Amino acid sequence: MIDFWVQRFRKGIQTQNSWADEELETIKKSLKSEIGKKFSGSLAIRMVDSGSCNACEAECNALSNPYYDLERLGIRFVASPRHADILLVSGVVTFNMLPHLLDAYEQLPSPKWVITLGDCTQGTLFKDSFAIKGPVKEHLPVAYHIPGCPPTPDEIVRGFLGFLRSL
Amino acid sequence: MRFIARFAQELQDHFEIIDVFDSKIEKTPIDKDNPEIESIAQAYPAAVWFERKMHDDFGIKILNTFDNRPLIHHERFPNIHPMRKEFTHKHIDPVPFKPYHYEVIEGDGIFQVGVGPIHAGIIEPGHFHFSQEGESILHLEVRHFYKYRGIEKIVERKDPKDAWHIVERISGNESIAYQLAYLDLLRQASKQGENENIQKYGSILLELERIAHHLVDLGFIPNDAGFGAALAYSSMLAEDTRRVLKTLTNHRFGFGAIRGVARKFDQNALHSFLNDLEKKMDFFEKWIIEIPSLWDRLDTTGKLSQKKALKYSTLGVVARASGIHIDRREVPFYKEHGFSIQTQESGDVAARFKVRLQEVKNSIQIIRNLLDFQEDEVVLNAFEDGEYFAFTESSLGEVMLYLKIKDQKIDRFFARDPSFINWQALHLMMPKNIIADFPLINKSCDLSYAGSDL
Ligand code: SF4
Repeated sequence: MIDFWVQRFRKGIQTQNSWADEELETIKKSLKSEIGKKFSGSLAIRMVDSGSCNACEAECNALSNPYYDLERLGIRFVASPRHADILLVSGVVTFNMLPHLLDAYEQLPSPKWVITLGDCTQGTLFKDSFAIKGPVKEHLPVAYHIPGCPPTPDEIVRGFLGFLRSL
Repeated sequence: MRFIARFAQELQDHFEIIDVFDSKIEKTPIDKDNPEIESIAQAYPAAVWFERKMHDDFGIKILNTFDNRPLIHHERFPNIHPMRKEFTHKHIDPVPFKPYHYEVIEGDGIFQVGVGPIHAGIIEPGHFHFSQEGESILHLEVRHFYKYRGIEKIVERKDPKDAWHIVERISGNESIAYQLAYLDLLRQASKQGENENIQKYGSILLELERIAHHLVDLGFIPNDAGFGAALAYSSMLAEDTRRVLKTLTNHRFGFGAIRGVARKFDQNALHSFLNDLEKKMDFFEKWIIEIPSLWDRLDTTGKLSQKKALKYSTLGVVARASGIHIDRREVPFYKEHGFSIQTQESGDVAARFKVRLQEVKNSIQIIRNLLDFQEDEVVLNAFEDGEYFAFTESSLGEVMLYLKIKDQKIDRFFARDPSFINWQALHLMMPKNIIADFPLINKSCDLSYAGSDL
């Protein structure tokens, strides 16, 4: 740790801002202003995996890495559905998860919106299994869909903007 | 003798139980009309989930077992045995709620804490049931299978080649490992020998997958101990790795990358990525090793003794951190290219963290040594009827696949994720720990729900 502070002292603060993609920066700006206008500056998302392969969740986790850093825009993934504006659903809706998914949706205070994430939620992948109850839209009112398998962090950011603009 | 898997299949006039050990495979025929078999869970505790699954899948009665509760069939699941050939329904309806009886410790002042299936944060669903005495964990029961998709049934009757897109989605974090194991099956079934170019190409991607996955854990473990800066740093490196995977395979998780073809890629870009990563890993290690308050949390937390790790047939980082030398890469091909097994002795969160750190560094060396391959292709068709086994070391441990081909179609597919075994050992790490350390212990094992639930 001493090494770290010695280095820091010698070089001064060097906050990395490694993101060079201007297009994404513009999208992030619009996203921030839409959240400002429509959600008083903070958008709370509760994610529920209803039977994914976990790549969709991994990409959502990547949204917090320093490249995307979505928290800075006012987007927060919250622990309880009761704190959320949006239910973000990934996965195929398995037989075993369906009641829990519906329960989570019930717990969201109104007004609330459902966004589906990833191709799985559409009932196309893994179809024809007795253990699957997808697509999500048969069980919940879906306001917006973000396609991809999995959608990349870029695509998720764009998807959020698309959703906000659709309101 | 290490226990690997126990599963059943339906043949013309009987069921067959297949027991896989590291040194032998045993097959036992059992009667279809009155299917029952003795439990082996006394000798091999990890067999108990396999046996409960066999009961749900086929209706096979397990005799002399200490646990015969349903595993996959949750409270509203109808009483069906979907892996039997006669079961062809594409739809089932829920039945009235039957409560599940958790293993609990009861007594004065002891209380129960249920967590899940939906957890705080962005994470897969599963349930953890604790018996608590104040802060101290007395017992944990892990209950999963919320993500049960019925994959083994979905692929039945398919042409083996038509199952690629499903097999690679069993678990997103281990997609390349699953693809490689599946390639191995198809290669055996089409009577093709090993091909060094294809092997090198596949191993490069496998090591990149391992790096990406370990880096995420190397961030989350300290993060769960309250040190978020580590996550910020290593998640950036994980992102870099995903981007490299994308430039090599067109996909950030390598979906669709392994199909028996070795493609050339930009070596310079990969080299400079590896050099950069190596430097940053050195910095990361030096930085994090010297934070005493962090190691206060990691040292001695969630200990798994070597004896128990062996008894429960554990795999991957969990086993290696308890001093067990087990890694499917311990073969001449990998050893010639710089692989060296990474183990620790203390069996705690700290040990699992250190194993991952060393493995990332070792994977960088291995990739460098594998880069001299040529474009190549293996022909995968005309699958010969028969039974095939394949093993691959994913970032979580040994993946095992079994494929039986009959009339050129898949007759039985069985996948055993390392997590299916390791989840069963998680409760052993709980005694003498407090519930606030559970996320830390759980993350240090980083087990898959999707791969285990299937
Ligand atoms: S959409 Fe694709 S990446 Fe997402 S959970 Fe489904 S299979 Fe996995």
